Amino acid sequence: MRLGAMFMDIFKSFFTPPVTEKYPFEKPKTAPRFRGRLHFDPAKCTGCNLCAKDCPADALEIVILDRAAKRFVARYNIDKCAYCGQCIQSCKFKCITMPNDDWELAALSKEKFTAFYGKDDDVANLMDKLAHPQPPPQPG
Amino acid sequence: MTTETLLQRATEILAPFSKGNNNPETNRLDVEIEASDLPSATAALMDNQWGYLSAITPTDLGKEVNKLELLYHFCEGAAITSLRIYLPREDQPDVPTISDQIPVASFFERELGEMLGVHVVGTPDSSRLFLPDDWPDGVYPLREEFSMEQAAPVEPRETLPEMGRVGNKFTVPIGPQHPALKEPGHFEFAVDGEIITGARMRLGYVHRGIEKATEKRNWIQNLYLLERICGICSHTHTSAYAMGAEKLAQVEVPPRALAIREIVAGLERIHSHLLWLGVAAHEAGFDTLFMYSWRDRETVMDLLETLTGNRVNYSITVLGGVKYDFTAEHSRAIHKAMNYLEERIRYYLHIVTTDASFLQRTRGIGTMTLEEAKYFGALGPTARASGLERDVRIDSPYGAYHRFPVSLITDERGDLEARFEVRMKELLVSCFTIRTIVDNLPPGELAVRFPRKVPAGETVSRVEAPRGEAFYYIKSGGGESPVRLKIRTPSLCNWTSALNKAVGHQLADVPMLIAGMDPCFSCNDRMITVRRKNDSHTLTWSQMREYGIKKYASIREPK
Repeated sequence: MRLGAMFMDIFKSFFTPPVTEKYPFEKPKTAPRFRGRLHFDPAKCTGCNLCAKDCPADALEIVILDRAAKRFVARYNIDKCAYCGQCIQSCKFKCITMPNDDWELAALSKEKFTAFYGKDDDVANLMDKLAHPQPPPQPG
Repeated sequence: MTTETLLQRATEILAPFSKGNNNPETNRLDVEIEASDLPSATAALMDNQWGYLSAITPTDLGKEVNKLELLYHFCEGAAITSLRIYLPREDQPDVPTISDQIPVASFFERELGEMLGVHVVGTPDSSRLFLPDDWPDGVYPLREEFSMEQAAPVEPRETLPEMGRVGNKFTVPIGPQHPALKEPGHFEFAVDGEIITGARMRLGYVHRGIEKATEKRNWIQNLYLLERICGICSHTHTSAYAMGAEKLAQVEVPPRALAIREIVAGLERIHSHLLWLGVAAHEAGFDTLFMYSWRDRETVMDLLETLTGNRVNYSITVLGGVKYDFTAEHSRAIHKAMNYLEERIRYYLHIVTTDASFLQRTRGIGTMTLEEAKYFGALGPTARASGLERDVRIDSPYGAYHRFPVSLITDERGDLEARFEVRMKELLVSCFTIRTIVDNLPPGELAVRFPRKVPAGETVSRVEAPRGEAFYYIKSGGGESPVRLKIRTPSLCNWTSALNKAVGHQLADVPMLIAGMDPCFSCNDRMITVRRKNDSHTLTWSQMREYGIKKYASIREPK
């Protein structure tokens, strides 16, 4: 048993700062490549839908209101997302980013886990449609 | 021997049984045989020392072909010989057992029986391995006509034995909760006094159906699903799957991407072995070593987060390459971490080979000879600690392992101490290899385009996971999803050796024996959740509490 080694460890520990983080008072910095919550830029989107097709968790949906007028709304389910970043790879137009500083995603209700991206009136339009669903056309 | 001579040799050995030969890939031989010839064909391969049984792939070819297909994959070096058997698609077709010759086949045969409804004649144990106790009889999840409605639960079978006592002999159930690691698995040990006389196991407590689920997802989505098979060796699974898919799609991956994949694989091996060192030390009651090794593991976890963005499911692999490049700054960080870890690993190597009280728990415990390792089909460090030279990275170099080879670490002793030593020395090799690759990273692109539809065909890809060989069989029908994907993870093969070696030891050695093979329970599991008739998927807090109270009461007061 090497006692000296033990004393060295004890001595070193006197001068080591605490490793605990003072969260939530100090927000720790995440790695630059860390994938946080998804952000979507509808202005660049062409509505090809590849991101939604390749999403392994069905977390992303692009609703096309008017392709010619470039009116797209992205519905993003934060709770389904696996943060793999495949949508960023699939998108040829760089509409999607996952910034490393947007990671405080906990919420007390499930509603907060759905995010909409798009022009304000497009989102309002879509929300209105969802709130008042049209009855399906009657056959015959 | 080269791969060609090995395959030539296999062709000669199997010639008396063959109904037709085929070379689907340059390193593979496909021999179609009659089901009744299976034991003699296996015996011919075993007598000539040709390879080991790596996996059995059962496939239902569907109503049109009206056949079931069983593939028995034998591997030797880079060569793979598959025995192909067609069975009639009726209920319970017969196939003879080979587990009397190859013990590890027993697990695969139990899987055949419960997943595809094949009746394996003469198999020593035909009880359920993966399916839950309340799964109805005669419903096979890998059959084409299977639907979730058929899987309505029935009255559970009684599988937990009463703690029986005959004279001094007891049956001691261990698990399903935390038998050795914080993962579920159930063991039954027959003990005579303190000495173990027999062992059985049961898996499937982690409910998932990943193999079946891959058939419904496209090639890209599957990459992320398969990454989640294991929380420790996630990169192994993406590498094996990507390699297979790239072979089928005939996509040439750029050398820089392959080198980056090998760096991540090396870092993953370091974090996995350090995690194992901690767990194994904890099982031996050496908690200081546990704390030390887990603290140092953070170095490599932080490094992985810097390089890939995530600590566990790195998601660095994409089909056709990798996502992220490594810069000069990253190289510096890798060098710094490797220098620190190398020093620490040397220290741990010193501890596990000299600490007197620790050696009492490891030296001469669970000794497995070279012959036994071969016979039980052990893989990875467990096999290499018994002197068995079996490492896919060396036998069948894939990815960048041609360019940046690793050296083989073996030990002759075969006991737990040897397994500690082999793993620690492998870490030193990994540190060395990672540094070499970082200094000589080939220039070029990161990824090439991968087609949405993959041409029809089938392939086998094998990758050396930290625990041994991971085996993937991928079959494409030419569409956007694979037709069949079979995964065999290394732990399933190592169980046979651990259970058989437990016999003759004291019950108190069991946790160390199980921990010694570095088991991973969940990656073996393949199951589909049973929907109960009144199943409500979202439970409120009070419902869940009520469910828990009822469940606990039913356990405490048996009927």
